[in-house]
Amino acid sequence: MSDLPDLRDFVRVEPLPRTATIIVRGGPDTAEKLRTHTQRVRRAFLLDGDPVLGISVFAALDDVGPASLDAILSGKLSTYRVVHLVTAGQLAEAGFEMLPTFGRPHMTLLLSSEDQVESLLEVLGTAQANPRYGEMVRRRRG
Amino acid sequence: MIAVDIRADLNAEDQTGYVWAFLDEAREPSVIVPGALVVAGDEDVPAVAVVVDLVEHPNGTIVHLDVLPGALDNYLALARRVQTVA
Repeated sequence: MSDLPDLRDFVRVEPLPRTATIIVRGGPDTAEKLRTHTQRVRRAFLLDGDPVLGISVFAALDDVGPASLDAILSGKLSTYRVVHLVTAGQLAEAGFEMLPTFGRPHMTLLLSSEDQVESLLEVLGTAQANPRYGEMVRRRRG
Repeated sequence: MIAVDIRADLNAEDQTGYVWAFLDEAREPSVIVPGALVVAGDEDVPAVAVVVDLVEHPNGTIVHLDVLPGALDNYLALARRVQTVA
């Protein structure tokens, strides 16, 4: 277990998203999918030396450019017909911590246990149509 | 129903900037080789991707995927069109 890479080594040094920042995740998600993804993250990474349950999301950190909502929807998430949109504030209010991990604007949403999956699903809400679905914009590496 | 070659969360990127998955979540691991064109994701959200590399990991083998733009339907339509012409 201790040989696993530690997410902490891949945390970007930058302020956490403001409460109004839109957090995006390609969907549709279900409790089963979220559990599978969190377990996959636990299998791949530690956080501060301990097992970690995490879910990948993207934060619309800028108004324009590769970390803008439009760029995320038309690039990294253009293969998703629907997306979940929520604010960083809503996630924080529901008790979820987020870490800016790997390339900008990727973030890892932390779950304290699998019991939080249903709560996360509720906060993510109903998936909405991705207006940029199917666009032929090459996914930009973070 | 779409049968994906390898199950992955297409939101999930790692330090390489690519989407990652575990090789043992592939339907047929032998087709997952660098340069292979595969369908990744899940039945609801399949996407065409190129296998970038396979990296040993303490808990298995990590597969990095370069997800190609556009809907899977676009690629299927292309394949049908090419077949029709041939």
